[in-house]
Amino acid sequence: MVSGVKTGSVSPDTDMPDEKARAQILSALRATESIQDYLSLCRKWRKIDRTVSDDGCTKLRVALLSGATTDFLELPLRAELDSFGLRALIHRPDFNTHVAELMDPASATAEFSPQIAVILLGASDITEWPAVGDTEADVAKLADRFVDLWLNNICATFNRETGAEIILGNLHLPPTSSTGHLSRRLPWDRTNFVRRINQLLAERAPKFVHTLDLELLSAQYGVQQWFDPRFWYHAKQPVSFDCMIPLVRDMAGIIAAIYGKTSKCIVLDLDHTLWGGIVGDDGVNGIKIGQGSAEGEAFLAFQNYLLELKARGVLLAVASKNEDANARAPFDTLDDMALKHADFVSFKANWGPKPDSIAAIAQELNIGLDAIIFVDDNPAERALVRQSLPEVRVLEVGDDPSEYPYLLSRSGWLETIEITSEDRKKSDQYAANRSRTELAESAVDYDSYLRSLNQKAVIRPFEPEHFDRITQLINKTNQFNLTTQRMTQSEVEALAASDSTLTAYMRLKDSFGDNGLISVAAGSVVGDTLILDLWLMSCRVFKRGAEFAMANYLLQEAARRGISNVRGLYRPTAKNGLVENLYADLNFEKDGPAEDNGTNWSRTLAEFEPFPVSIEIVEDFA
Amino acid sequence: MTESEVWQRLTSVFQDVFEDDEISLSPETTAEAIEDWDSLTNIQLLIAIEKAFPGLQFSTGEVANLENVGDLVSAIIKRVAT
Repeated sequence: MVSGVKTGSVSPDTDMPDEKARAQILSALRATESIQDYLSLCRKWRKIDRTVSDDGCTKLRVALLSGATTDFLELPLRAELDSFGLRALIHRPDFNTHVAELMDPASATAEFSPQIAVILLGASDITEWPAVGDTEADVAKLADRFVDLWLNNICATFNRETGAEIILGNLHLPPTSSTGHLSRRLPWDRTNFVRRINQLLAERAPKFVHTLDLELLSAQYGVQQWFDPRFWYHAKQPVSFDCMIPLVRDMAGIIAAIYGKTSKCIVLDLDHTLWGGIVGDDGVNGIKIGQGSAEGEAFLAFQNYLLELKARGVLLAVASKNEDANARAPFDTLDDMALKHADFVSFKANWGPKPDSIAAIAQELNIGLDAIIFVDDNPAERALVRQSLPEVRVLEVGDDPSEYPYLLSRSGWLETIEITSEDRKKSDQYAANRSRTELAESAVDYDSYLRSLNQKAVIRPFEPEHFDRITQLINKTNQFNLTTQRMTQSEVEALAASDSTLTAYMRLKDSFGDNGLISVAAGSVVGDTLILDLWLMSCRVFKRGAEFAMANYLLQEAARRGISNVRGLYRPTAKNGLVENLYADLNFEKDGPAEDNGTNWSRTLAEFEPFPVSIEIVEDFA
Repeated sequence: MTESEVWQRLTSVFQDVFEDDEISLSPETTAEAIEDWDSLTNIQLLIAIEKAFPGLQFSTGEVANLENVGDLVSAIIKRVAT
């Protein structure tokens, strides 16, 4: 099914620049499901990784802890993280020292000071199993004790000492059962006990603990595929060779999600991807979709899976080589289609090259190319996109539509650490943006367009009900982001609680709908100076004057507190050139260089006049 | 499968796993003789051999105790040679 990805097919020739060879190896790595090829690609990646200079870039520090052997996972995890743009340094303490390493504040792992600690639990971590015949209450007590030990004792201690976010891999179900199909009715049954523990570990997890659901993942592959007892007895290998790939991919996916590196949008081909046949040739009634043919049902299942993804916040778009009218016809006229035209935030059907369509979609949605997954049954189109837009994540698919949902689900590209109410409304918000664009095109000038939007904003200090969305925005925003300072929710909470900080979030509404919580800023007060070192805004509301409304709030609030100077920090990245001159636009003066090639800016509040904005500031949305 | 076919196929598995086309095997070849053959690659090697010989599955005892290529070949022949 996965064509062209064999050992040796990607051996970089000696003239090829390392970066290009690296990208090729990583994309082959993401496509292969054969463990032999996978490990061989990992080793090739390592050879190149060693020769590439790091440009002094800071590496992500990841600790990998378990009561089982994790030697095998280290290299693949580094390679998988690299394919998300994360260069990682991995610390792996000795086998079965995990509890001591986590609890001892002077342990080598604590000294390593990881940003992420991945802990893989196993059956050997359960020191006390229920006894045969134990009552529900007995078993609940045992489960509470185990969950409390891991969450509130071990994980909490380590997080307190190091600040690390923790990814907790739960237990796969036991591969054998002594009670068979009766197990679910017996509280003391071991399989049942593992299920109970896993459920509690997720339900009671504090914000800094993220579940790596190995019960789910191992069930998807089959526990007897997942766990090879021979290599457990021989080498305490917790997962079979073949299942290392999904384990490491999802591990990397969750880490990437913490850093906002997973995908936001799926760009889809149409013919042979969303339906069988070619609508331009076969006609709208000739394509295969829906009940009545096996292939049609498979395409329908894929459409339904895409709708599930859309419902939780993934954007869908189309890039098809078709006449626009032909491409739209199935969506508009066929009842059998699960997807409708309105489900897509962008729809490009034309005869231009697909990389152009994809780039246009990225620009329209104001998202990076690395936030896009491209799905196309045509290998030539995939190769072209991979070559012209190496940042785009190209899903390697065969020609069997029944596999498409599985391939997408297995990619790890769409992992997320939470789903906020903002996420669920996201497609609507982009649709409202389209209406705004149409209004802008019809308005005589931009100012009158902004006025006609009837924008209203709430700007307030950080509040607990918004901590999750504030954290999400801090970690996802790349373009309008002055310092690209990432933060965990615990850090956000600490910021909100401190007396010497000024924090603000902004929600924005207009005549087309609620844009949600779209901007965050914070600074610390030192003497009579406010130092702004966190300021970002969602790309959905660029060019609406919202940054000036935020500036007004920050500067007025500072003045109210008797502060006389404001210092702003700009730290350049590959993506935030947009706000290079924001502080100049806000009448700040350049005040010399800062760390990481940054610039300090400053102004006094003596002559501060609020900037004109077409946004009405309200206390709350009724 | 004849013994010589087993040798041929085994050699090619070794060459794949260790990414070295020069590897040639004799019954006395041990882990010390092949540079990257450590406890980690040994597991990888056993899995690769199982995949190369359909129906072959090493027992737990074999997994732990196969010490040289001669042992490997006799374990394979015991299962697949007819």
